[in-house]
Amino acid sequence: MSATPFTRRKFLISTAAAASSAWFLAACSSNEGSAPAAAAPSASTVPQSEIDKALDTETTLTFWTWVPDITNEVKLFTTKYPKMKVNVVNVGQGAPHYQKLRTAIQSGQGAPDVAQVEFQFINSFTLGDGSLLDLTPYAPAALKDNYPDWVWSQVNTNGGLWGIPQDTGPMGLLYREDLLSAAGIEAPKTYDDFAAAAATYHSKNPKSYLVNVAPNQPGQIIAYLWQAGVRPFSFDGKQTVNVDLASDQAKTVVKFWGDLVTSGGASNDADFNDSWYQGLNNGKWATLPIAAWGPVFLAGAAAKTSGKWRAADLPQWDASKAVSSNWGGSTDAVLKLSKNQIAASQLALFINTDKQSALNFATKQYLFPAMKQILTDPAFVDQKSEFYGGQKVNEKFAQISATVSPDFAWLPFMDYVYTNFNETLGKAFADKTDAVAGLQAWQDASAKYAKDQGFTVA
Amino acid sequence: MSAITTDARPAEAETVGRRPARKPTSWLLTVFVLICVGYFLLPLFWLVVASTKSNADLFSSFGLWFANFNLFENIKTVLTFQDGVYVRWALNSVFYAVVTSVGAAFLATAAGYAFAKYKFPGGTALFAIILGAIMVPLAALTVPTYLLFARAQLTDTYWAVILPSLVTPFGVFLMRVYAADAVDTSLLEAGRVDGVGELRIFFTIGLRLMLPGSITVLLFALVASWNNYFLPLIMLNSPEKFPLPVGLAQWQSTATGGSGSQALFSTVITGSLLSIIPLVIAFLFLSRYWQSGLAAGGVKA
Amino acid sequence: MSTLVDSEPTTAVPTRQPRVSASKRRQYGAAYVLVLPFFVIFVAMIIVPLVYSGYLSLFKKRLIGGTSFAGFENYIRALQDPLFLTGVGRMAIFLVIQVPIMIALSLFFALALDSGMMRLAKFSRLAIFIPYAVPGVVATLMWGYLYGPDFGPFAQVTKALGFGPPPFFTPIGMLFSIMNIVSWAFIGYNMILIYAALRSIPTELYEAARVDGASEARIAWSIKIPAIRPALLLTVIFSVIGTFQLFTEPKLMFSLAPNVIGTAWSPNLYAYNISFVNQDANYAAALAFLLGIVIMIVSYVVQLTNQRRERRS
Repeated sequence: MSATPFTRRKFLISTAAAASSAWFLAACSSNEGSAPAAAAPSASTVPQSEIDKALDTETTLTFWTWVPDITNEVKLFTTKYPKMKVNVVNVGQGAPHYQKLRTAIQSGQGAPDVAQVEFQFINSFTLGDGSLLDLTPYAPAALKDNYPDWVWSQVNTNGGLWGIPQDTGPMGLLYREDLLSAAGIEAPKTYDDFAAAAATYHSKNPKSYLVNVAPNQPGQIIAYLWQAGVRPFSFDGKQTVNVDLASDQAKTVVKFWGDLVTSGGASNDADFNDSWYQGLNNGKWATLPIAAWGPVFLAGAAAKTSGKWRAADLPQWDASKAVSSNWGGSTDAVLKLSKNQIAASQLALFINTDKQSALNFATKQYLFPAMKQILTDPAFVDQKSEFYGGQKVNEKFAQISATVSPDFAWLPFMDYVYTNFNETLGKAFADKTDAVAGLQAWQDASAKYAKDQGFTVA
Repeated sequence: MSAITTDARPAEAETVGRRPARKPTSWLLTVFVLICVGYFLLPLFWLVVASTKSNADLFSSFGLWFANFNLFENIKTVLTFQDGVYVRWALNSVFYAVVTSVGAAFLATAAGYAFAKYKFPGGTALFAIILGAIMVPLAALTVPTYLLFARAQLTDTYWAVILPSLVTPFGVFLMRVYAADAVDTSLLEAGRVDGVGELRIFFTIGLRLMLPGSITVLLFALVASWNNYFLPLIMLNSPEKFPLPVGLAQWQSTATGGSGSQALFSTVITGSLLSIIPLVIAFLFLSRYWQSGLAAGGVKA
Repeated sequence: MSTLVDSEPTTAVPTRQPRVSASKRRQYGAAYVLVLPFFVIFVAMIIVPLVYSGYLSLFKKRLIGGTSFAGFENYIRALQDPLFLTGVGRMAIFLVIQVPIMIALSLFFALALDSGMMRLAKFSRLAIFIPYAVPGVVATLMWGYLYGPDFGPFAQVTKALGFGPPPFFTPIGMLFSIMNIVSWAFIGYNMILIYAALRSIPTELYEAARVDGASEARIAWSIKIPAIRPALLLTVIFSVIGTFQLFTEPKLMFSLAPNVIGTAWSPNLYAYNISFVNQDANYAAALAFLLGIVIMIVSYVVQLTNQRRERRS
């Protein structure tokens, strides 16, 4: 056996040493926080020769995205540039993706080169020193011309180009032709018509509603505000924000939906859960205000109702001018932490602007396109959908895309604003209490959060 | 220790002492318990029925009875979706579960044996610390553990999920009690007289006597690991390392508002059904060890 | 050289300075070696993160301005945080209602199985235990369907009878809905623990009573239950600890009733959301510490109460 006995002291020392040293040695050796790689000069463009060189060097890129089957498009990139290798990783959809992204950035370890970032979260990554690479030097000068103005304003803010637009979600109205005509109603064109139709429809169909107002869907409510011309958020890229959720116009919009809920013209079910899908399948709602990614999703979730739906514009506040807004839509952004900034920027650019790749996104994964070229491409526009009774749904939403009002900005902490919605305005919808009071509570909580976090609230 | 020591050998805990004559069956009791059993099995019944339905039928047919039989299609989808990542998840779960449970059981057995059979200086204090740890909420630990792993560049690795799960303070407690009961010190002494080294005594005599208890700890750790959701959720980024609960939750969450949503319902449900089966089989297989291992631990607290 | 004849190795009592014998040292050495692997990982995975957590809780991080030392500010904030306090209060109510019911049912089933008066005992035992094997993710899926306000079976029954859907998702209803899921999953687990304890009671203890003609129920009440008191205490304490740590069920119920669950339905869920949604690991650490303290206090109280009752009886 052992010559020297294992004394208690030896035991304690060895335990402490073994356990702690592993941690602290490693801790000391890893980089503290995010030390950005040498940033390329923001003003001057990166010369094509350098870009070509980077694309001709053996590189492995990590790409975090939740878009299904995106390997199709990535393959187009790696085929064209054989020295590029891309690891596509799906770390979660929406909130979990951002959480992991932030934690990886904070710890300086494990962050990808390219990441999917939705429009509303871009600002949250440009805080402080900013985690996203300004892509202006890496992108062709005429990139802007590819997109409708409102799309460009979503990615080109506060003096930088922060992501390459991939898909969008212009808001429209899907409706059940059969249910509406059975009730003698036409698809409402204004909000006044809509309110009247809601009352009529429900009185004829006690078990069904014209529409649902989800108490857990801030993205949808914000889209309604956007459409009405409300601009509740602003961020100057540094330390100042403006939170104005309770403006008069916003109150009008919120009161409209709140009244529908309290009067019984609209239901207030949480959406995107099993109950809601069952409702869709069983005709609980005659309309569904939703974004351009909705039609394909609906076709998958409510297959039994095929042929009965149609697509139209959202109801309007001003009958003379059709205006819409946006709900959802992503970009691909490059992280400053990336050790392959040029190659990463080219990946983001390629899969989203190469004609074939962009067309694939639209026709194979059914992402609603951001680029004008695809929005007008017959291969996309002329698609007829059986689920929608043969209607060219893409054409409709492409039309709508041109009417989205521009210049809608986001706060750099939308995660908080979204989760708080469930406890304030969302809760008012759920409990059928005063929605305007809920809106005020949402405003107050968001403004307070901004102050607590050190922002200057304008 | 406790007063109730019998020579009930753990392997025969099924019948302690002489079995009395067959007692009359109480039908009232039986029926009542069977009704309760219905309550326990109802959700599982729903799961089985729902697994046989396609997406379209799921939301348009009565939940507790069948519609068009689509089970094999569903199973095929589960196993091939996203390039068969489900199979990968299942293998991961097996890997995590086996490594964790064997490791945890062994560590707990060794420690429990030592605490029970040796009155060494500091032993009481150490044991108290370990017991106190049972009360620490895992939530207090998981995030700091994640941050520490991140600094050590160990997140998104298999170790990140296995290491924290190897510690089972309850297992040590259980094994200590079990060792005190099941391992006769005289046997150890006999070994010592023969000049056998302490560690060898542990491995050849002690371990063998403690086996049923070790298997109990192994089973607890197995279930905990198989069903573990929070820890792997936080530690892992790459889907190829996910265990089943995390993978299924990810599939389920693809049906949310926003672009890229997919309606994966029947896949999630069938996948859930398949994920339960291995554990059920493990239970059936090892159920006799439950009683014997716990018998000692329960009474002599 | 100490003799090895006695079964209990006694340290020799020398007339001069006491010295640990060589064999004793060897044994201590072996003990340390056996405990070491567990303890090293224990320190690394529990003690160190705990200390780090405590360290983190003393700092504060803001989106503008970064991290700064904050002393006990986080703790004071937590103690005044209505979300945290209601969460703890909710767990206390959960504890007081669900744990006794669950343990009572587990006890009942264990006694029923042990009584020998049942047919299909083995099948029942397994069936009651199976829910424990179901991961929380899957359990919530199943119950989410069963609780469905439009298409769940219960709702359909009540609707057929002319009532509205059962109130599974009202603020009070949610409490019971989740209590139900937890009970469903853990009655079997606790039942097995109790059953094992029952099985190890030597039958001599109640043979006499049986011969005297006492009914099974009476035997259960007067003999079996007192005999397994330590096991019962164990299950209660583990249930207490488990209740305060409730996380998986509320998290997954969130999609069904997001406005009822919110971000802070249980303290553990709150700490998770603070950490990952608000990116505030520091405040989350303080919350987790406070939660740990609450758990320790409650567990201690439970143990004290039991000791006092034992002393009285």
